[in-house]
Amino acid sequence: MAATRGSSRRVFELFVSRIPWTLTTKELKDYFAQFGTVRKCMLPFDKETGFHKGLCWVGFSSEEGLHNALQKDSHILEGVKLQIRQQKPRSFRSQYADEGVADMS
Amino acid sequence: NPGFPHNISRLFAVAPHQKGKVQEEPVLSIQNKQAQNFDWALNKLDSSVRRTGRITRALLLRIFHDMCRTGYPSSNQALLLLRSCGSLLPEVPLCERTELAHMIWGKLQDLGAVYDASHYNALLKVYLQNEHKFSPTEFLSKMEEANVQPNRVTYQRLIAAYCNEGDIEGASKILGFMKMKELPITEAVFSSLVTGHARTGDMENAENILSVMRDAGIEPGPDTYLALLNAYAEKGDINNIKQILEKVEKMEGNFMDRDLMQVIFSLAKAGYPQYVQDIMSHMRYERGYIPDAMNLTLNLITQGLEDTAFQIFKSFPSLLSENHSESSMDYGNFFLRHCVTTDKPLSKLKQFCDELKEANMHSSPLQFTLYCALESKKADLAINLMKTMKEEGLPLRPHYCWPLLVGYQKEKNVQGTIGVLKAMHELGVEPDVETYTNYVLTNFDDIQTFRALLQVIILVECFLLFFSTEAVGYFLYNLIDSMSDSEVQAKEEHLRQYFHQLKKMNVVIPTNIYRGIHNLLDIYHVPELIKVCGYINTELGVSALEEELEKLKAEKQPIGNVLKQLIVALCAEENMQKALEVKAKYEPDMVVGGYAALINLCCRHDNVEDAMNLKEEVFRKDSSVALDTNKYLALVQVLGKHGRLEDAINILKEMKEKDIPIKDTTVTFFFHILNAAAMRGGVETVNRLHESILMLGLAKPSTNLCSPLITVHLEKDDVPAALEATIDCYKKYGTIPRLHDILCRLIEQGNTDLLQKAMDFMSQERGEMTMLYDIFFAFLNTGKYKEAKKIIETPGLRARPARLQWFAEKCIAANQMETLENMVEMTQKLFECDREQMYYYLLKLCKISNDWQKADATWTKMQEENVIPRERTLRLLADTLKNNGQEVPFDVDVNALLYATSMQCDIAIVFFFILCVEAYNILLEAQKKYIMFPPSAYSTLIKALLAEGCLEEAIKVKNIAETHIKGFTLNDAASSLLIITQVRRDYLKDAMSTLKTVVESDMVPIPLAVTRLIQALAMKGDLESICAVEKMVENLAASIGLSRMLFVNNTVLAHIKNNNLDMAVEYIEPLFISGMQNPDSPIPSMSYVFRKVIEERLEPALEKLSAMAERLVNQFGVYKPATDLFLQYVDAGRVDDARFLLQRCGGIAEQKKILMAFIAKSSQKPGQKLLTDISCNFYFFPLVLDNDLASAKTLFEKVKAANIHTDEIFLKRLAVLLRNAGEPVPFTEPPVSVFSD
Repeated sequence: MAATRGSSRRVFELFVSRIPWTLTTKELKDYFAQFGTVRKCMLPFDKETGFHKGLCWVGFSSEEGLHNALQKDSHILEGVKLQIRQQKPRSFRSQYADEGVADMS
Repeated sequence: NPGFPHNISRLFAVAPHQKGKVQEEPVLSIQNKQAQNFDWALNKLDSSVRRTGRITRALLLRIFHDMCRTGYPSSNQALLLLRSCGSLLPEVPLCERTELAHMIWGKLQDLGAVYDASHYNALLKVYLQNEHKFSPTEFLSKMEEANVQPNRVTYQRLIAAYCNEGDIEGASKILGFMKMKELPITEAVFSSLVTGHARTGDMENAENILSVMRDAGIEPGPDTYLALLNAYAEKGDINNIKQILEKVEKMEGNFMDRDLMQVIFSLAKAGYPQYVQDIMSHMRYERGYIPDAMNLTLNLITQGLEDTAFQIFKSFPSLLSENHSESSMDYGNFFLRHCVTTDKPLSKLKQFCDELKEANMHSSPLQFTLYCALESKKADLAINLMKTMKEEGLPLRPHYCWPLLVGYQKEKNVQGTIGVLKAMHELGVEPDVETYTNYVLTNFDDIQTFRALLQVIILVECFLLFFSTEAVGYFLYNLIDSMSDSEVQAKEEHLRQYFHQLKKMNVVIPTNIYRGIHNLLDIYHVPELIKVCGYINTELGVSALEEELEKLKAEKQPIGNVLKQLIVALCAEENMQKALEVKAKYEPDMVVGGYAALINLCCRHDNVEDAMNLKEEVFRKDSSVALDTNKYLALVQVLGKHGRLEDAINILKEMKEKDIPIKDTTVTFFFHILNAAAMRGGVETVNRLHESILMLGLAKPSTNLCSPLITVHLEKDDVPAALEATIDCYKKYGTIPRLHDILCRLIEQGNTDLLQKAMDFMSQERGEMTMLYDIFFAFLNTGKYKEAKKIIETPGLRARPARLQWFAEKCIAANQMETLENMVEMTQKLFECDREQMYYYLLKLCKISNDWQKADATWTKMQEENVIPRERTLRLLADTLKNNGQEVPFDVDVNALLYATSMQCDIAIVFFFILCVEAYNILLEAQKKYIMFPPSAYSTLIKALLAEGCLEEAIKVKNIAETHIKGFTLNDAASSLLIITQVRRDYLKDAMSTLKTVVESDMVPIPLAVTRLIQALAMKGDLESICAVEKMVENLAASIGLSRMLFVNNTVLAHIKNNNLDMAVEYIEPLFISGMQNPDSPIPSMSYVFRKVIEERLEPALEKLSAMAERLVNQFGVYKPATDLFLQYVDAGRVDDARFLLQRCGGIAEQKKILMAFIAKSSQKPGQKLLTDISCNFYFFPLVLDNDLASAKTLFEKVKAANIHTDEIFLKRLAVLLRNAGEPVPFTEPPVSVFSD
């Protein structure tokens, strides 16, 4: 883990995919809050269609939260299994541009 | 298929696409990918058909449109498309499939597709599959007209068509034709006859056909039995069906699953779904069952037989589920989606969903169905589905309505938006802030018109009907926030009426939102509105606070804080009377915050007396108290308004003393104060306040801040005073505010004397050009176009883009179409005027005023003027046209362009530039239709194509021109370009023959073309051709500036390329020796040879040439080749080689002229090669700069500054120079080297 403890400004990010269209930020935030404090939850909507793209970035304020989430076998929300993986630490914006790059080391 | 390379598409990326999804991708990439896409799409169609037995309408249309764009559908491609319009489209209703086929047929024919019998047969098949009723005899006569011979397949299908209608007589007629032509009668014909008899109701005869067949020597096969099965299915005769099935099975004949599916379809369609299960039991679930069954399902749904469809779907073998992970166990998406597409009723959908859910086939069928409804923007269905979901206890969320709102947003459909919001409300889903800000309020961003404001009122009414006052609040806040400062001011009256209206409607909004609105209005400096806006604030707090206050007072507790809250609340309510009363009552307990709010309130209510009294009162309590900036400014404003000038100035002074922070908005506020004073006509007030502000250093002088000084006079219509004031401003502050308005007034008044004075002043202070522009704009603005025209035609006047932009934007902002049009027209001849930019302004205004006729006319004018539009301009134009439902004329519709171009040859040239590919296509198309263009058009197109490297296309155009236009020859420039392109493509023989044609037709090639050709020939070692070209241009060479050395050097290179080094040296060496004997002739340079040899790393040749150069130095004293070689070494960065050569031939250093020229040349190269290049350069600097101490010193400084390693020889030389001049040497002198004297 490259993360250094104690740097409070860092966000520990989780990349979530295969999110059903019925869910929105609120549900995801509530769900992931069980693993730790969620600082950010970004679920971009397509302004052209009004649907989101099924991808979300959840930022925990501690490494622990991220850990807990990664440790759970499967994440099933409203009957649908979500795909999760750790997101390489970067700015939210660049993650968006290069979605799906993950390093599990 | 012209197959243009990618770079050319870039040129044509301007044409916007209009269709479907495509639009969402960037236009550019689409154009680039178009060619590949086409093949890709065809493959996709093919694989889709093979894999699934169906294609979607969208894919089919996309391929069709691509085919149209690319221009020339091959007959095979046409066949492929036509054949796809039948049962391959199970999702499309039958009649629409046939319409599609007809549309494709017609369009491809227009594009030049040639149809043969195969196409007609394909069309027939489509007719049969789609149960399309048509007249076979007419069909035959159409084929005859087109000179296409019907074949056996044609007749068979026509018989089938008759039989499907139960028309045995018609079928017999065709059968007669077949017999006459001695065509074999196949099983297919008999199968049709089975159907034919069955459809007349005569099953006996239908059965009889089988024995007729046997008599004719044809054993009935599966096709015939299938026809019989279908016939019984149509009658609902399950017993006979079963018998036949058994019989065939006994005969070990096979019905494929696909055949049985046809029977199922017939049963369902004829109204006997109860027998479907019987047939299902005969299914063998072969490979390919699933796609076939899916097609059957889709087809049944399309034709309104969804119950049978569902039955089939449920019987899908469970093998499907085994390949999937547990999380995605949702089956039936395709089923639900197609039901939504075909508008099945809600009850049906609900029933399917329930069953799917019960059978555990789908985890969330209702949600998925809703998704489909939203995706296809079926608002009613979506809302009903949500109702159902609510009843089922499924959660509903605000974002479910976003896809619908997005649609209405795009259409600006307010009613639709409100409808959705209302429905959501009824469903108990309150839209959240995101819904409002992203999907609702953006509908109303266009508040240009009063109509929009009326809509606002309607909307508010609706909001109130369905929602909370909070919603109204959000809405109002966003509305005002979206308006600019000046918009709010301009619409102040509307907004006021509007607030009154709301008050009448008893609208009250929550305090927090009211505060937000209040703050916004405060920033916009509209105190009047704030007052009115206060009407709709809630009463929240005031009475409660009063009670609290009384209570505290009674308990003898400190009341300061609550008192302040009460005052602030009363202020927020704009209740000045009460606030003042409360203050008077509890004066001893008043704190600064309360006073500040109260002062501001009084200012807003124009109550200057109380405001000042309050201020003094609070200062008596604490003289160090400072109000915030805006409250001071409000005081200044109200004091100014009441003519209490001295007090106002004192406040300004106090602001300075107390060091009140000044922000940008403060300066704007100053302007508003001054401007308000100017509007009231108080010359002294304006002047003194302005002076004080500047003197106190509260703001810096600017044109804006100074303009009230002039405004005050203009308001009184005292133009002379205004002019004086502006001249005064220029003297004092260097600004010339409102000159344009002054000039306009003077022109309107016909005051030529003063006008002259103003012009003289401008001319003197700002130059004649500026003055001319000023007066030009003034004439334009006052409608004196004749005078304006005279001014702008002043000889020597040139375009000033910034000024033109200023005026254009002024016109755009004020919606002055006529003025702008005149400016654009008048500047047509203006030197260096960017015409495109001018038309851009015009189109911008057209778009804003939504005037498509004007936009269209402007587009025509641009064509007349041969202006090539930039992409943004075209987009503006396209938008304006599209917004008004007009066709966009420059879409890639070949026929439209063809029409336009043939109508107006001039336009063709413009089009050729913009739409080169299109032009090319048009031209080929035109050729087919014998439409010809003027010769210059062809040359232009050829040049454009060549410039993009499209040689083949250019040649094709050339050939067309040559064969169709008598005496057509390519002009000089196009020919030269052709030669260059041919050389680049390595078609040297062609290039030579082009050159030959050029020379023979007495044209003059551009030198570059000849140079490129010779150089290419040299690289090939083609001595013979070099000689030939030299001969060709013999007479031209001198006049077009071709150097003899071009031929010499390239001959040398050709020898080298042929590995004939001795020949090369033998050829060139004498030239230098003889040149020496004739000192008048210029010394030839073979730098080019050296450079090429170095570049190509031809080391043996380099050695040979180097030896030659040294020999020339040592034996003949000819330094030129050695020096050239030295410099080429330097240039190529081969420092050591340069150094060795210099050591061997020291005299190179004395070739000052050559070296100087080299330095001069290389110093012009970008990046200051001279200073940053390798240190080798310095070998000759000191030599060149010999005895020029000043230059040497400068150079040394530069070298030092650039941090470049200083060569010791250079230092040595410099030291010598310095010493000779008796100056100190500021560095350590290096030891003696080879070059020391």
